[in-house]
Amino acid sequence: MSKIVVPGEVVSDQPQRMAYTFSDGHKTYATALSLLSDDGHLVPLEGPYEPLVEDIVVGYVTDIRFTGYNVELGEPFSGFLSSRDSRATFRLGSMVQARVINVDEVKSIDLADARPLEGGWLERISPVKVPRLIGKRNSMINTIAQMTGCQVIVGRNGYVFVSFGGNHALAVEAIRMVEAQAHTTGLTDRVAALLREKGGKAMPKAPAAPVHSSGGQGDEAADSDYSPRSARAPQNPNQPQV
Amino acid sequence: MMTGASKSKPPLLREDGKRLDGRAFDELRPLSIEARVLNDAAGSALVIWGKNKILAGVFGPRECIPRHDESPYRAVIRCRYNMAPFCSLEEHGRSGPSRRSQELSKVISEAFENVVIAESYPKSAIDVFIDVLQSDGGTRCAAVTAAAVALADAGIPMKDMVSAVAVGKVEGHLALDLSKEEDNWGDSDNPVAFASRNGEVLLYQMDGQLTREELDQAMTMGMAASKKVHAIQTAALRRVYERGGEVSVPLYLTPGEIRQ
Repeated sequence: MSKIVVPGEVVSDQPQRMAYTFSDGHKTYATALSLLSDDGHLVPLEGPYEPLVEDIVVGYVTDIRFTGYNVELGEPFSGFLSSRDSRATFRLGSMVQARVINVDEVKSIDLADARPLEGGWLERISPVKVPRLIGKRNSMINTIAQMTGCQVIVGRNGYVFVSFGGNHALAVEAIRMVEAQAHTTGLTDRVAALLREKGGKAMPKAPAAPVHSSGGQGDEAADSDYSPRSARAPQNPNQPQV
Repeated sequence: MMTGASKSKPPLLREDGKRLDGRAFDELRPLSIEARVLNDAAGSALVIWGKNKILAGVFGPRECIPRHDESPYRAVIRCRYNMAPFCSLEEHGRSGPSRRSQELSKVISEAFENVVIAESYPKSAIDVFIDVLQSDGGTRCAAVTAAAVALADAGIPMKDMVSAVAVGKVEGHLALDLSKEEDNWGDSDNPVAFASRNGEVLLYQMDGQLTREELDQAMTMGMAASKKVHAIQTAALRRVYERGGEVSVPLYLTPGEIRQ
């Protein structure tokens, strides 16, 4: 069993360095509304995006400047994509998938490896629920993509691109379900059941190699059901990252 | 209020020695909290505390406008306390921002600056809108309590929850959680906000006077009461996930009992 902890609640009786916690030198306390499992694993339930280098993000162009593009990544963050770091050209409102190459001390974000996203829409989910939407070894996102026939690209920042190719409405419904029920167990099966019931295509028997990109961060999602972020999240949220 | 001051002081204790609403001196009014009550705010809370009804909504961290308010070191925390025109029979809220509401907005913002980990979101703003829908004394404490739940609901990183309660003096007795009559006509009113983890005092204002000994005793009473408030705040946040994280419109919500 796991329990819900509120900010300031004790997570561990020893000082520990863990994402979404802080320590006063004696004990460790939660800083956000989180789910604490019996083995001491902490999974945040709510919270804003924490930009980190190597994150794959999804957003849209809000400004075109002489040297590049401003890309909206969900408040309060926007990234800058230098034209030098991009072969593609974009227009105002173009949807973009990109990689974070630098985050400075005032959280200005530089992007590279940009790829235009066309023929679909962006959905917005809570950034802390992104690992759940990707699932263990991309299981969740592959299920949704294959059973609806849509291309689904998940950004760490909480924007999700869903193509119009397949059953777009059903894919969006499944994504919303994952977001709403992210803190529950056995979710992949329930999502598959929903998709089957509403006319989704059958999953291929053998798990195929991921045809649909899930944002390229599935490896981290592999070891636990729903908290791949802890390993690389900032150790102490009190201290600004450098 | 001028309208009130012109009247003569009403009795503040009943003949049986209890307070007007039948409470003991160390008893809180019934308090109910519901978290996540608004669709479009990042976090929200409705607090019904005696006859007080307070709604708080949190936005952000988001772009800081006007830009000259922003800081490269931390997010600015802006609480806006506002009384609705219909919140009482008196002049509260009738003509927009007042000296009083500006003061409360300021002290509430400063209370939260101590617990919110704002360094993670430089050049942005965290906005907390607190609206008093109905008032009956002790609204600033209820406002702080509501804002803390709304901030936690929004997932804003915080070192601590904040729980507030007023302690005062009525007819020579120290009394907890003053009602409007006790606040207006009593000897002293001291709203205090405590950090739940280490009991730090984040907000303290004094109206009227207490002796040092009375103050000591008042703080002890307030500290004990803030733990009860904190338990109700925590329960409200847990309940959000027990109901599946959905937005609730608690039209059924009535002030609940507090186990002493």
